[in-house]
Amino acid sequence: MNLFTIVLQEHEAGGGGIFDINTGVMFWTVVIFLTLLVVLTRFAWRPILGALEARERRIQEILDAAAQDRVEAERLLEDQRRQLAEARQQAQQILAEGKQASERVRQELLERAKAEQEAMLARARQELTQEKERALEALRREAVDLSLAAASKLVERRLNAEEDRRLVRSFLERVGTEAGEQP
Amino acid sequence: MIGRLWPWLQAAEPQAEAAAAPAEGGGLTLGEMIMHHVTDSRELEIPFGGALRRIGLIDRTAIELPRFDPIQLGPVTLDLSPTKHVVFLFLAAILVAVVMIWTARKTHGKAAERAPKGVANLIEAFVIYLRDEVALRNIGHGGERYVPYVLTLFFFILFANLLGLLPWGATATGNIAVTATLAFLSLVLIEVSGFRTLGPRGYLRTIVFVPEGMPWYGKALMAAIMTPVELLGKVAKPFALAVRLFANMTAGHLVVLALVGLIFVAAPVASWILPVIAPVVMAVAIMVLELFVALLQAFIFAMLTSVFIGLIRHAH
Repeated sequence: MNLFTIVLQEHEAGGGGIFDINTGVMFWTVVIFLTLLVVLTRFAWRPILGALEARERRIQEILDAAAQDRVEAERLLEDQRRQLAEARQQAQQILAEGKQASERVRQELLERAKAEQEAMLARARQELTQEKERALEALRREAVDLSLAAASKLVERRLNAEEDRRLVRSFLERVGTEAGEQP
Repeated sequence: MIGRLWPWLQAAEPQAEAAAAPAEGGGLTLGEMIMHHVTDSRELEIPFGGALRRIGLIDRTAIELPRFDPIQLGPVTLDLSPTKHVVFLFLAAILVAVVMIWTARKTHGKAAERAPKGVANLIEAFVIYLRDEVALRNIGHGGERYVPYVLTLFFFILFANLLGLLPWGATATGNIAVTATLAFLSLVLIEVSGFRTLGPRGYLRTIVFVPEGMPWYGKALMAAIMTPVELLGKVAKPFALAVRLFANMTAGHLVVLALVGLIFVAAPVASWILPVIAPVVMAVAIMVLELFVALLQAFIFAMLTSVFIGLIRHAH
């Protein structure tokens, strides 16, 4: 017997057929489904959906806060970078100024030392010249005296002392001048 | 499967002795056996009832359900005696309630502070999908109030479908009365939501179609032609819902039972290996498909209900 004919036969027989509509079953379906709907809405769906929404909201808040924090952090980083650059620049400047100052001081000291040295040199030279002048003067006088003494000794015997002295003196002056020109 | 097969074996056994004891209720044909399993009944089969009876623990394999006298309500006779399908509907409802309330406790309150995990997370994934992709997407703005209905519908049908796949289970959603009632409830919800959103005038337009920019006789003619079509359209939607779910659930079971029945049809004429292995492999494959169909049909019912609510809410 094939299935379809059985289905039809049972349907026609009216007892427990596959297409039978039992009103009692319909009634119970309505009761069970609506009760389930009410119970679940109250005790399951509302808490679950509420918790889901709360979680979604919280995750969104956390994401927003994270985004805000990142912007803030970037701002702070930028600040710090800028401050660091400023500090570096200042340090550079201070260093440069220091270098300049030291250079100036060194230059000054050098110049002063040079000037002092020159002054000392000049003084020494001057003193030397003076000494020489004095020595020459003394030598000249001594020489005149010696020559005169020697000449007077010599001439005492044979010459007019005054005339001779003049002669010698002019001679000595010539010697002195030649010595002055060629020291 | 064993559950379905077992009573059959019970029946098959006396079939061999039918000549000796015809009164035992044996002599059932395969077709009658299959029909017995997809139709409603007034008894509940006891798990392992056959085996238990054989070892003498019980003297029958099924429990007779209580019977009430039918109530006459005008032209309708209402027989409120519970049947196998009513019991399984109730079982499905209890299971859904337990699982969902447990999930609610796992996700609500203090538990909400922790990351979701486990079975509750699985249920949540279903709930989120149904809320966002089924209810809200199809119903549109203001669809939040329909989410509980869609969720209840989906899980109730899913659990009823799955209970039918268990041994000794019965598929309440394979009963046209059950699916027709669920579809009727959806129809009521669809029409009420349409009425609430569109107002009396707008709602009337979904029944009486009056085209714009036509002379009065054109309008009258179109209304006269289109009104029955519109009404038919309203009824056709839940009718399709009811038949789709009923046919899918019944057909799957018929195929599985027929494949298993092949064993007994072919047993006398072939060696045992071919008639046993081939039907079992096919029946298992169909069972796996049935698992998917159970999920799919629950989804389709919930999905189409949402689509219809969305359609009528946005009708102009």
